[in-house]
Amino acid sequence: MIRRVAFACAAACVAAGAFIAAQAPAQPAPPEPTAALSRANLAKPRPKAPFDLTGVWLHGGGADNSFRFSPPAGFKLTPAAQVHYDAARKAQAENKVYRDDIGQCWPAGLPLIMTRVWPITMMQYPTVIYMISEFMNSLRIVYLDGRPHSDPDVVVPSWNGESIGRWEGDTLVVDTKYFTGHHHWVDSGVPASDALHIVERIKPLNDGNTLQIEYELTDPKSWEGTWKYTKRWRRVEDRDIAEVSCLPDLNDHMPTTKSGANVR
Amino acid sequence: MRTRAFLAGAMLLVAGTAWAHHSGAGVDRTRTVTITGVVKEFRWTNPHSWIDLEVADAKGAPTVWSIEMNPPPYLIRSGWKASTLKPGDKVSVTLNPIRTGEPGGIFVSVTLADGRVLDGRGAGPRPPAPAAQ
Repeated sequence: MIRRVAFACAAACVAAGAFIAAQAPAQPAPPEPTAALSRANLAKPRPKAPFDLTGVWLHGGGADNSFRFSPPAGFKLTPAAQVHYDAARKAQAENKVYRDDIGQCWPAGLPLIMTRVWPITMMQYPTVIYMISEFMNSLRIVYLDGRPHSDPDVVVPSWNGESIGRWEGDTLVVDTKYFTGHHHWVDSGVPASDALHIVERIKPLNDGNTLQIEYELTDPKSWEGTWKYTKRWRRVEDRDIAEVSCLPDLNDHMPTTKSGANVR
Repeated sequence: MRTRAFLAGAMLLVAGTAWAHHSGAGVDRTRTVTITGVVKEFRWTNPHSWIDLEVADAKGAPTVWSIEMNPPPYLIRSGWKASTLKPGDKVSVTLNPIRTGEPGGIFVSVTLADGRVLDGRGAGPRPPAPAAQ
């Protein structure tokens, strides 16, 4: 008797399940595996990359290799940017610091994040390069999977922007835009705007021990023309990067950030 | 000799500025001040380690000096450990002072109670400077 009841219940459940399945809407198709690290994207056939940037890199050293992106000779700023530049020069003449936003924990952003003289860990995959500066662990992503820049109407502006890379012979050419102009500077008193556009031509030298990047910076809201720089990094193989955070209570003990020498 | 000393000074200036997480323009890098006091707090942390040192001012009143240091990876190369300073330790610190005269500055060196002198430059072994091809 018990066995007969159990069989009847099981049959009813199967029938009910079939009914529910017939009534339920069709399941949506799974999303396209377009993410940089999706298995399908990684598995797509691609030409072999000419070099692998994976490693830790530290800017500095050598001649003509400043960590700054100072305006070139004969530069011309827009009137809006000139106001900041003049204020910064006035502060400098008074031994003061003009709007040192990085010291107040704002992100350094591109291009300065590349030359903060803190090591940068780079991890290269066939579809993407992740760059993590030890300085505030700032993340920069360079897509290599052939995607175009995002729709400007949906992209979220950021301090490091959106970087799209492509191989040109033995050089990686990276195009970056969609920056925020919020507390973002190219040099002291030189504001970056949301029109900042950076092209980098990257290649290793000296058997992969030196990394060279040629920069072209344009920002028609801040200056006229194109500013060009060439900078170099050395490979670091004796230390890893660590967790680094800028904290309000840290700054309470930093005389350089809380001093009255700071001009806001 | 004079040239070499100048170059060494210039390199220190560049390194000190570059390693800061902020501008050092408000600091007088041409001048050093040595103060003696009692460690109130020593924080071993990124992006800067720091010392709060309680020092008696000209009238004998306790004043806390905030002293900004390089991050631990550099201090380690100069012989530092997290346990090097403890609250209550009496030490002398040499620093580049804030231009405004506020009690604080950027660390140059410390003389510990046992007489050891440590700087914070991290002058350990370094890879060679990058060169253009």
